[in-house]
Amino acid sequence: MAKYAFLFIDDGVDYQGSPTPEQQKVYADIFKWFEANGPKIADGGAELQPTRTATTIRTRGDKRVVLDGPFIEAKESVGGFTIFDLPSKDEAVALAKTWPGYGIEIRPIREG
Amino acid sequence: MATYVLMFVNDESFRERPKDEVDAVYAEITRWSEELERKGVLKGGVELQPKRTATTLRRVNGTMRVSDGPFIESKEHVGGFAMIDVPDLDEAIRVAKAFPGGVEVRPIVVH
Repeated sequence: MAKYAFLFIDDGVDYQGSPTPEQQKVYADIFKWFEANGPKIADGGAELQPTRTATTIRTRGDKRVVLDGPFIEAKESVGGFTIFDLPSKDEAVALAKTWPGYGIEIRPIREG
Repeated sequence: MATYVLMFVNDESFRERPKDEVDAVYAEITRWSEELERKGVLKGGVELQPKRTATTLRRVNGTMRVSDGPFIESKEHVGGFAMIDVPDLDEAIRVAKAFPGGVEVRPIVVH
């Protein structure tokens, strides 16, 4: 078994704002997906507030600069993450294919 | 208290620096996390394998399409996460500022 981080990718949707009925259905499906896959979860991780709530800290020269907004300004953004315990990368891809939302980035994690 | 996620943003060229420089940064990160653990601020975290190990799935016309690489092809990418419990955003920013690298701070959704 190995641990894989699933980075849940949103496509500009704001589930915490005013989601459309269609988006609300996806959100409900996401809850069911987590329930169904609960036994495979090693660390529940977190659901993030939308990118409008993000603060970014960067290094410029030898200064630490604080800015409003996400690190990378793009339509797609990380909406949350969860760590799964799975037998292989193929299993991780198969599980990610059943995600009701927009997208997932799968990354093995560095242990120890 | 509120929970914030710190998303660490790496510049991939970091790993190409001389080994002693990389080791020094890792040592600084270890000091940073140990201090937060001692204070009971750090609630877990994870370091991701480099972006070349990433696989991305995207919904295109209703089906999930699989591709190699991270979801955004950029010099900068997510290298890991930490969760912290702090009184407010100002304190979360103070904690993030002490980390030796780029950080995006985001509050979490509480259900």
